[in-house]
Amino acid sequence: MADGLFDQFKDWYEKRHDYARDWKARTGGQVVATMCTYTAEELLIAAGMLPVRVLGAHEPQNVTEPHIFGMFCPFCRDSLAQGLLGRFDYAEGVTLTQSCIQYRQTFSSWRSNVPSVKWDYYVPMPNDVQSPHARKAHYAEIQAFRTFLSALTGKELTDAMLHEATDVVDENRRLLRQLFDYRKEANPKVTGVEALYASLTAQFVDKKEHNEQLKKVLAALPSRPMDRKEGVRFMTIGSENDDVAFMAMVESVGSTIVIDDQCSGTRYFWNESMKDADPVKRIAERYCDRPACPTKDYPAHTRFDHVLGLAKDYNARAAIFLQQKFCDPHEGDYPDLKEHLEKNGIPTLFLEFDITNPIGPFRIRVEAMLETLSEEELF
Amino acid sequence: MITAGIDMGSRSIKVVLVEELKVDGAPALKYGVKKSHIMMPGDLDQDVAADKAYNEALAAAGLKKEDVKAVFATGAGRKQVAFATEGVTEMTAGAKGANFMFPMCRTVVDVGAEEGRGMKTDAEGKAVDFAGNEKCAAGAGSFAEAMSRALQMTLKEFGEASLKSDKSIPMNAQCTVFAESEVVSLIHSSTPKNDIAKAVLDAVASRVCAMVRRVGIEGEVVLIGGMVHNAGFVQSLKTAMGVDTVSLPDMPEYISALGCALIAAERQH
Repeated sequence: MADGLFDQFKDWYEKRHDYARDWKARTGGQVVATMCTYTAEELLIAAGMLPVRVLGAHEPQNVTEPHIFGMFCPFCRDSLAQGLLGRFDYAEGVTLTQSCIQYRQTFSSWRSNVPSVKWDYYVPMPNDVQSPHARKAHYAEIQAFRTFLSALTGKELTDAMLHEATDVVDENRRLLRQLFDYRKEANPKVTGVEALYASLTAQFVDKKEHNEQLKKVLAALPSRPMDRKEGVRFMTIGSENDDVAFMAMVESVGSTIVIDDQCSGTRYFWNESMKDADPVKRIAERYCDRPACPTKDYPAHTRFDHVLGLAKDYNARAAIFLQQKFCDPHEGDYPDLKEHLEKNGIPTLFLEFDITNPIGPFRIRVEAMLETLSEEELF
Repeated sequence: MITAGIDMGSRSIKVVLVEELKVDGAPALKYGVKKSHIMMPGDLDQDVAADKAYNEALAAAGLKKEDVKAVFATGAGRKQVAFATEGVTEMTAGAKGANFMFPMCRTVVDVGAEEGRGMKTDAEGKAVDFAGNEKCAAGAGSFAEAMSRALQMTLKEFGEASLKSDKSIPMNAQCTVFAESEVVSLIHSSTPKNDIAKAVLDAVASRVCAMVRRVGIEGEVVLIGGMVHNAGFVQSLKTAMGVDTVSLPDMPEYISALGCALIAAERQH
């Protein structure tokens, strides 16, 4: 849209490293590279740090082969490449909360081989979050992370500090939900590309600053005129996706992306913490309760109905699987999730993503999908 | 009424002119092929080549541009056809054309130079699902072409040689370059050329079949695209898919252009 309403988010996204350097110069705080959206940012924020999620650059690279296998997912390889190429040289720390084994290896390679790393911390969050022991275990891990950060900064992280940080992060989640609610409407006032810019930037911009920007956008949205055609309403499903060029292509050929189940989108911010006097419990349980990534979704597949619910709530006509090549957890879910959606009237398209993606062939597939969905009788 | 379909393939440009036929008492409109024309663009720019191929087709049919009600384009280079009224994807065009030739067709396998794909079609010839090969030539005609070069055979000889083999040699390579290494290894181990040809075509058929299985194999199976001319591939595909019959159109490389012209005609009503 030409009104520039989302330009600040776009600018932050395109100059994310400049933003982090500037934040550091402004505040004197530490920057921490985070590697999974299960990372409890609340703790880092309470410690006066800026959590910056590691995203790829979608450009060819040749630096990761000595460290991780070529058959690791492209997002892991691209993420590690950014560290090895010095793009995060402003980040003192790096942290990962356990999700998939490929990410774990990426984290290990990062902390061993990126020279600017001064400290690292791994949170062994249980993958079996459905276990009756998971909450207690994760509570202990969050407490241990808190103790580590207190020792690192030489400043105790008090309950009040944790509550304050959690309130700020919860506000961010709430505002993003409000922004995404606009996508339920016919010809929504927020495009898929714009929503992606908003949810991605929340993962590396100072939350208070991000909240203020979200409030400005939310205030302007009710009167925003939409001069584009809605076309077919798509949902996207997958792991991480920040391929803006792909999203823009999809929305340029007669469609609008109205919702997602991705960690670059809704899975990152969907649920707030429950109110509790114990801030560690608030934080730990929030991450156990969030919409699950496939690595943490067994024995029951809770995400299948969650994804279908999103598709229905946002009136998605069809879904596109953005499958990171070699991403075993998502590939494992794919056949059953596809069947679940299609049985419930949501046709699907499968596209395999790599570090760089062939926009031309992808465009043909998306256009073919649109033609199969066309109500127009050709004959 | 006459309409045109132009298929801008990676190797050749196909043009089909379709004429609406007046059949008294017929329940539905009928169409017939007025002219089909193929041109290898050589080093011409795609837009120039499209224009040239179209003009050649019109001249061969004795028609002028104003005689044609609508021109639709399909294929990898369809956006380059500046004079096209509209464009449709290869999946939609291929399904329409195959269903026109074989009305009971519900599964279409399209193997051209650079891409293989499978489509499921409904009774009206509308593609309802599809799957294609991803960023790899191993399920496409150019793979077979490269392997036939390695054996110093023409594509036709390659296909015929394959039919003379009763061996099943598995080829593990999934990429054209590595597959060529496997072919060279087989040559060095004195494997008969017939057996190597069959191994290669079995491998292509297996890749294509895997794609088609993603959309499901139903009803009459129709193979379109240039690989129809390769008899060895057709046999390998039947074996891989576990079907007795695969229907083959007479001019398989024109089917997408035909479907495109038919859709153009329908959209005029």
